[in-house]
Amino acid sequence: MTETARDIQPVELLINGIPVRAEPQMTIVEAAWAGGVPRVTGVGCLEGVCGSCRILVRRGKEVNVALGCETFVEPGMEALFLPAPGTDRHQYQLTDLSDGWDIQARFHEIFPEASRCRHCHGCVKSCPKDISVEEGVALAAAGHYREAGEAFLECVMCELCDSACPENIAPAHVGLFSRRITAFFHLRPPNLIHKLEEIRKEQADKKEQP
Amino acid sequence: MEALNINLLHPQQRVGENMSRWQQAGGGTALRIATKDTAALVPTIKDADLRGLGGSGFPVWRKWEAVAKEAANPDKYLVCNGNEDEPGTFKDRLLLEETPHQIIEGALLAALACGINRIVFYINPDLTRSLAALKGALAQWQDGELLQLASNALGKPVKMELVPGSTHYIGGEETAAMEWIEGRLSAEGKFPFPRGKPPYPAQCGIYGCPTLINNIETLAHVPAIVRNGAEWFRDLGIGQGAGTKLYSLSGDVLHPGVYELPMGTTLRDLIYVHGGGLLSGKPLKAVFTGGPSNTLLTPDDLDVNMDFESLRERGGSLGTGAMIVVSEGTGMVKRVAEYARFFAHSSCGQCPPCKTGTATISRLLDRIDTGRGTAADLATLETLCRMLPGSGRCHLVNGVVHLLDSSFQHFRHEYQQALK
Amino acid sequence: MKRGLSLQAALAAYRPDAELAPVPELDDPDTLLNSYHPDHLRGSMTKLTIGPNAGADCQRELADLLQAEAFIDEADLAGAQVTDTDVLVVGGGGAGCAAALAAAERGARVLLVTKLRLGDSNTVMAEGGIQAAIEPGDTAQQHMQDTLRAGHHAGDPALVAAMVGDGPEVIRWLIHQGMQFDQTASGDLHTRRAGGMTAPRIVHCRDYTGLEMMRVLREAVKQHRGIEVWDQSPVVELLSNERGQKCVGAVLGSLTDGSMRIVRTRSVILATGGLGRLHLNGFPTSNHIGATGDGLVLAYRMGARLCELDSFQYHPTGLVHPPHLYGKLVTEGVRAAGALLLNAHGQRFVDELQPRDIVSAAIIRECREGRGIHTDTGGVGVWLDTPRLERSQPGMLQQQFPKLLARTHHVGIDPRLEPILVHPTLHYQNGGVVIDVNGATSVPGLYAAGEVAGGIHGRNRIMGNALLDIIGFGRRAGIAAAAAEHDRGPKKITLEHVNRARRDLTLAGLPLTQRAPRILPAYTAAGKDIWKP
Repeated sequence: MTETARDIQPVELLINGIPVRAEPQMTIVEAAWAGGVPRVTGVGCLEGVCGSCRILVRRGKEVNVALGCETFVEPGMEALFLPAPGTDRHQYQLTDLSDGWDIQARFHEIFPEASRCRHCHGCVKSCPKDISVEEGVALAAAGHYREAGEAFLECVMCELCDSACPENIAPAHVGLFSRRITAFFHLRPPNLIHKLEEIRKEQADKKEQP
Repeated sequence: MEALNINLLHPQQRVGENMSRWQQAGGGTALRIATKDTAALVPTIKDADLRGLGGSGFPVWRKWEAVAKEAANPDKYLVCNGNEDEPGTFKDRLLLEETPHQIIEGALLAALACGINRIVFYINPDLTRSLAALKGALAQWQDGELLQLASNALGKPVKMELVPGSTHYIGGEETAAMEWIEGRLSAEGKFPFPRGKPPYPAQCGIYGCPTLINNIETLAHVPAIVRNGAEWFRDLGIGQGAGTKLYSLSGDVLHPGVYELPMGTTLRDLIYVHGGGLLSGKPLKAVFTGGPSNTLLTPDDLDVNMDFESLRERGGSLGTGAMIVVSEGTGMVKRVAEYARFFAHSSCGQCPPCKTGTATISRLLDRIDTGRGTAADLATLETLCRMLPGSGRCHLVNGVVHLLDSSFQHFRHEYQQALK
Repeated sequence: MKRGLSLQAALAAYRPDAELAPVPELDDPDTLLNSYHPDHLRGSMTKLTIGPNAGADCQRELADLLQAEAFIDEADLAGAQVTDTDVLVVGGGGAGCAAALAAAERGARVLLVTKLRLGDSNTVMAEGGIQAAIEPGDTAQQHMQDTLRAGHHAGDPALVAAMVGDGPEVIRWLIHQGMQFDQTASGDLHTRRAGGMTAPRIVHCRDYTGLEMMRVLREAVKQHRGIEVWDQSPVVELLSNERGQKCVGAVLGSLTDGSMRIVRTRSVILATGGLGRLHLNGFPTSNHIGATGDGLVLAYRMGARLCELDSFQYHPTGLVHPPHLYGKLVTEGVRAAGALLLNAHGQRFVDELQPRDIVSAAIIRECREGRGIHTDTGGVGVWLDTPRLERSQPGMLQQQFPKLLARTHHVGIDPRLEPILVHPTLHYQNGGVVIDVNGATSVPGLYAAGEVAGGIHGRNRIMGNALLDIIGFGRRAGIAAAAAEHDRGPKKITLEHVNRARRDLTLAGLPLTQRAPRILPAYTAAGKDIWKP
């Protein structure tokens, strides 16, 4: 057998319990399509930013979670597309948060679990983006929302950390909340405000001179 | 009926905290015998074929021997595991309430056998009556003659402590128990996370010391074995079983409760003779066993002897001896969903496949149970049953899979009927 | 096509510090476009024979879908569950979310339906940023001129004026929803200048602008008490009144169980995005899996006018390697930051900040004339010279383009050390459903916003205008739809417009074999027999 012939040996694996023969270098999503695996609709951007294609993947005895569009086929691997996450437990609307001084109290009302982290690292191990999820949650629980939000910059909201959290903290949403209130309360860029003011004056002038 | 409550739950043993009544009934005798020849303890327990009654069925003498072999570093620990928390199991709490001295004596005997000087009674704090009884009983031992006797035989003081558990089910797992106890003894407040094995507790347990961990029921058996001999104990059992076993009977039976019966009693005897049969005379549908993280028993299993070997041969497991009986008319999907929810909630979070896997199982079962499930959901559950086993540090995830898989085997049609 | 260099040979010859000759002068952009842009490929265009745009030019594969048979008949609706709502928003990307929020802010009951999961969209992938004329010295007028010029003056000035005028307010609204943007040391919003712009005008959040926008809007929608969301629920067909002349609802299929549901509503907002996954002219695409042009098909069958159906944007810098990211985008921001394009011989061949259509045509010319770089898997492209950029500003790639590095990191490619192989990729539908400044289409009750709508970007869109378009017009459509009046009298929901289309198809002698909308590409397995149980 020549080197090239060996290179194109198909990779055999199981996806959603269905045997699939895939080409090497295929991702799990591509292999699922190529193998005709039905009902794989939990797929979005195909470049690792929408967080939709959550999979459970088994290599030998090792089992973990990942994103199907970023995980490559391996011989003997088994992958399962996980059902989409359920509805959010935490309810808030930014417009309800009018006073920045009571934001820590409100945060703990909305996310009462955030201060109960038991440091199991399940969220960190689950994160396909290598985010320091646990530290991010701790920062938010301590009121350091800007830094907490920054930790979640690359979060794609796959919510794998949410399903991994035994205390139901919903870390991805804690991170997003932190980012949102940082912008909501603190992002006041002078160049934008100056422009908005200019426009407001222009419009007021127009009204005065019919 | 004559074989009921002949040993651990014998009326003479059920004296609660009252130490003098316990001693009148022979309490303390075993300890006095053992102090004269501590080396005889392990062989006696081996001969008696005493098993780990917290669910493993592992031969007790093996653990004892392993700990006995190790050098103290500087201590050796015994954990008396009374974290009992799983649905359908309620035997240890009864022993603790009604026969605390028997348990304390059993613990001291184990300590003498293994050269242990620190004994921790690790009790589920929700069992308030058990805690109170044990606390009252322990107070009567401190500075007493029997404890002094044990210390002398050991060559150093034996210290006994009571450590309430964490209220977490997972805290009953042996390495998780050690993690919690370390936290409590040093006031650090650790979550009871199971540890990876190896190292095994016998080599490296609490604070790195050799540690023995036995279930309450297991330890309670030791004094009578020492008093009456291994042969006497073995002969109590039926067939392959040795001694007696506390069966926690619950569900759709006329007389639920704890029954001490010969190890190897049949399911039929337990349900129909002792339990008074099923409610309203309905036919038996299934029995959730042992915590309920094992395979289901069905009417086909009524005449199987309920000992570790016989059930293993049937692909089942005795577990803690919990038997949750359900009659025709019970929705299996709803039941399995309920237990899966318990385990998903109990998963500690250290191993993402366990936490995410059990949570997914629980969600899909709820979906099917409430009429929103699809064929794809059922297929996903089956795939999970294949992928998840062995993916956690401890056995929690395996238990859920056992239960689910066996419910598929026997009651697949009920799942299919519930699909959208 | 002449063969160029192999990837290995080109990589071996590449030097990040090689001296570069100046770019040759581009004397005739029109000739370049006519000769090399995919819109001008021979055989790629046809004329529509039925519908409001009969006689107009249209890309051939798209024409087949616009003139296709519907999926359902009235009988398929028997027993379907009926839901009433004020505003139905179709699409879970940025435009759909902006429309839903704007309508809900005005008190309307909103149902947002999406065929994937809320947020699975092209928005989430947008990297570069969003345009808004906020710098001193920049004006809405300038923004408008840049947009019209880059669009070859095919855009509707009224729409462009509305969009650019919304710019600063859109940014404020996004901040109010909780979206972050990069700032300068003094707290100003950081701006960049990109291809076709006369002033720095792009505000951004690192190269995760779309992700940041989408997750914020998604959360805002999910948390809003006035908005209900149905995932995995594609629109299979719209519903019309008894004369087939007003849109009064939609039929939704479920991707999870195949069931059909009817939604009755005052107004429907189409925010279904583009059509990259139709792989027009055999091109790869940067688009997400659901970009199959469903909105165009639904709107056209309902009788809405479309525009510029023969004009698509092929983004110059789609990845060629690694293969699993084939067609995925490298943001124009990298070129805006100074990265150059080099052919197989290490020569520059176009001003990198020309509009996208020009740059794409130039890359295709290099590849076709034997100055491209070939991979083993059959791809061809030119270099985007990221190592040179990194050398000139050490650390800047990590600082400003973390996504670029993160995406190829796990396959062992580091753009700081080796240049990126790129080729134009099908990126954006320039035209779409004709709308007015309120997002209203030519069919009463039917609105459109975002990529599915046309008339803003003319025949070529510049960077950063897509995100502005989706939020600006998303909100305009949401506001207008929420204000729409209730119909008087009993409400009739029919498939009359489908019958009209069938009549037209039959009279025109067109086959009734192909069905549309496509919902998912056929290669996804799920897309093959989508409504079969």
